[in-house]
Amino acid sequence: MAEILKFENVSKHYSNGVHALEHVNFTVNEGEFISVIGPSGSGKSTILRSINKLISITDGHIYLDGVSVSQQKGKNLRELRRKVGMIFQNYNLVYSLSVIQNVLHGCLGYMNGVKGVCGLYSEEDKKKALALLEELGMESFANNRASDLSGGQKQRVGIARAIMQEPKLLLCDEPIASLDPSSAKTIMDLLRSMTSKRGIACIVNLHQLDVAVKYSTRIIGLSKGEIVFDGAPEALTDERIERIYGTSRENLMIGASAND
Amino acid sequence: MTKKISLGVAGQKKMYTAFLIAAVILFVLTSVYTNFNPMTLVKNGDAFWSFITEDFLPPALPKASRIPGVLSSVLVTLALALSATTIAAIFAFFIALFGSEKVSPFPKFAKVVRGFATFLRNIPALVWAFILFSSLGIGTGVGFAALFITSLAFMVRAFVETMEDVSQDCVESLLAVGASFPQRVSQAILPSCLNGFLSWFLYCIEVNIRASTIVGMVGGGGVGLTLFTYIKGFQYDVALSIILLIAAMVIVVDRITGRLRKEISK
Repeated sequence: MAEILKFENVSKHYSNGVHALEHVNFTVNEGEFISVIGPSGSGKSTILRSINKLISITDGHIYLDGVSVSQQKGKNLRELRRKVGMIFQNYNLVYSLSVIQNVLHGCLGYMNGVKGVCGLYSEEDKKKALALLEELGMESFANNRASDLSGGQKQRVGIARAIMQEPKLLLCDEPIASLDPSSAKTIMDLLRSMTSKRGIACIVNLHQLDVAVKYSTRIIGLSKGEIVFDGAPEALTDERIERIYGTSRENLMIGASAND
Repeated sequence: MTKKISLGVAGQKKMYTAFLIAAVILFVLTSVYTNFNPMTLVKNGDAFWSFITEDFLPPALPKASRIPGVLSSVLVTLALALSATTIAAIFAFFIALFGSEKVSPFPKFAKVVRGFATFLRNIPALVWAFILFSSLGIGTGVGFAALFITSLAFMVRAFVETMEDVSQDCVESLLAVGASFPQRVSQAILPSCLNGFLSWFLYCIEVNIRASTIVGMVGGGGVGLTLFTYIKGFQYDVALSIILLIAAMVIVVDRITGRLRKEISK
């Protein structure tokens, strides 16, 4: 399996003295579905955002598709970013625009000059966007304002926008944290099926241990910016969970199916 | 005997008392300093009333031949306010993009832009008018410049605030898809902030209708200058009609912009 992402001794120290990441090493291969778990402030968001340089790291190297991320600037950085789709906890749509316009934002990285600025997308791209919306069960909402959708629907638009980029890697920053249990399941199922169908590697930040165990092919546990667990979901014993969250298992709210 | 149960928020009463005492002391001190005496108004009341009733009332129309001139001067004032605000808004939009750390491609530069706008804004339009009239001479063009500078500075600040409020999340997501700065502006910032921008723009028109009258009085032309001419010519009754006309103009514009702003915020 081809290697897509490599963290080499990566550290991130914020200027306020917080050490978000400490000597992080791991690699991601094509087709993997990885959950990153850990308490708030353990560096989960920093890991995701350093991959597409929304946050710059202070030390080490990140290689995306063999290219070092931290040295990229301007046009090269944009080309690198379009290989990486991203899904956010708050969906981060442009709410005054229509659903399909939001999906088409996924093409912006491929467009240049006046066309991209004015939003003159090709008919081909529009067809592709509609097909994606159909795949996600959202085709009837294509011309609705994004602000009129429910949370689960907004997140599906977020997924469509990310897949529209034809990414090699999908980053999901707590994609189900603001959703009800039923929408959350829909979104996780969709993420799993859409990425495996296309061979896209996926990294998901999660607070729900049971979800992480159920969906992932691999789990990375973070504590205070360090990786304290990296392995298959089956290997995530109580002892290791305690190591990640720094407290015994009884003190954690974990879904019922966690150890089935 | 039981102690009465207090209902207020702890310490609140003391704070109000302190404020009241401070306000009274300030009033006394400033009155002494400015030689203000409430009795002056009462003592000179007769002169004031006779001025109002004999010189001002009843309002008189200017000579029939002058009426078109007066009306066109109202139009000049309106046009001055509208054009200065509109052009300032366009410039303000582009400058504001560089005034917000979260949007600007040069975040370190953002503070300088905001500081400069604040500096320009804190000088009132009237002072700008005097500065510009002294250096460039009087005229509608210079009045335009005075209004332009203050509304530009005001809208830069307002637009930056609007952008900081609205668009962080969608700017981040467009960064992630690899969108360029112009693309982020046109596809994320502009659509999500447009209503906010328009609302501030309409508010600025309201302010500038009043300001352009005053700038006109000191040399910018328009109805302000017409009013000033009649006052200088001791034709107070005609001046009163023009004052009423100005009031009507301001009220009409306020109602229109107020209505539009409500529509936008829906």
